[in-house]
Amino acid sequence: MFRTLKPFEYLEPKSLEEATGALSKYGTEAKVYAAGVDLVPRMRRRVIQPKCIINIQNVEELDDVIAGNGDGVRIGTLASKRSIEISDIIKEKYFVLHEAIANIVSIQVKTQGTAVGNLCVATPASDVAPALYVLDAKLNVFGPSGQRLIPIDEFYLGVGKTVLEPNEIITEILLPAPAPNTGGAFKKLVRSAEDIAKVNAAASITMEKGVCKDVRIALGSVAPTVVRAKKAEEVLRGKKIDQKLIEKAAKVAADEVTPISDLRSTADYRKETSAVLVKRILAKAIERANG
Amino acid sequence: MKKVINLTINGSPYEVEVEPNLTLNALLRDRLGLTGTKISCAEGECGVCTVLIDGKPMLSCSMLAVAANGTDIITIEGLAENGELHKIQKKFIELGAIQCGYCSPGMMLAVKALLDENPNPTRDDVKKAIGGNLCRCTGYVKIVDAALAAAKA
Repeated sequence: MFRTLKPFEYLEPKSLEEATGALSKYGTEAKVYAAGVDLVPRMRRRVIQPKCIINIQNVEELDDVIAGNGDGVRIGTLASKRSIEISDIIKEKYFVLHEAIANIVSIQVKTQGTAVGNLCVATPASDVAPALYVLDAKLNVFGPSGQRLIPIDEFYLGVGKTVLEPNEIITEILLPAPAPNTGGAFKKLVRSAEDIAKVNAAASITMEKGVCKDVRIALGSVAPTVVRAKKAEEVLRGKKIDQKLIEKAAKVAADEVTPISDLRSTADYRKETSAVLVKRILAKAIERANG
Repeated sequence: MKKVINLTINGSPYEVEVEPNLTLNALLRDRLGLTGTKISCAEGECGVCTVLIDGKPMLSCSMLAVAANGTDIITIEGLAENGELHKIQKKFIELGAIQCGYCSPGMMLAVKALLDENPNPTRDDVKKAIGGNLCRCTGYVKIVDAALAAAKA
């Protein structure tokens, strides 16, 4: 193990323009530092050796505020996962996001690390990402050509890859207002509690008199990026929901994932347990929607 | 290029010149001699490097010292006051929660962060609060007992 980090140039931009200017100059040789929780260990292991670290903690336009935004909620880029987990407005209106973060066991990682940083790492095992998928989140992004909005399900390209240009910075996560009678749930399977997910899944469902008005299902750790189980959603959307239909949707969802075998699980196991997780989170989400 | 940073560590002001590639853990241990803060996995998995930054538990191995500029840091050396051990330290000793001792500093600081936020935690609250701290002696029962006893002390 290397104890030290290789030298790099270090910048503390005060504005988004300054930050993206520096990113434009260094391109892929630069890395954005928001909290270090993922970046520093990877630099220590020499997985990455950036020439320049751009610390965005002092950028004037960035904040850690979680607050109402019209009918929805916005989460500032510097907001820690822990502050999102314990936020009353998140618990009340976006419980699935609370539940996803509550299932991350390390308080230190949650307290230090930001949700936006977690998204930018683009690990398929992110617990935050599937929750944001089912909440229909959008990412507000600032770059040299101005501001743009990226829907979360267009954000990932592959393992470690996103649609962010090297000189763009996410400034906030935007969550639309949930429809009435909407419930959500998140579950993951792990080897031991502190490990990353073997499979994780999130669902959000809107119910009206026993009929599914709308539903979103997303799974993590079962493909290079988060998978929206759109065919499984179609099984449920507009239908009167019963146990048989939930089980059918769960099976369809398992057919939509393309997992690999690795040290944590086999592909077959991941596929089978995807169905089990989807079945359980749908039941829970429906219970909460009706509650 | 070196940068001058200002920190408060265990109540005392520090002005130090650091290289950007120095981690907070290396600053505390190697520069300032505060070796109570440990280092083990250096990947943010084990929690032995935990310090309180502005009252919150964070990983000194996974943070640049230069990025901690302006913060108020408590390490295990800062828990005792006026030569008297903190109640968490006393209970860890009394109840046998100090085993090999390597996880103890991080563990006690995680407990401190919990008790500062929630003075009357349940057993489950304590388990959650130390979820990011691994004890390889695997003696968690006594650690949880000590944290609960400290809350009542």
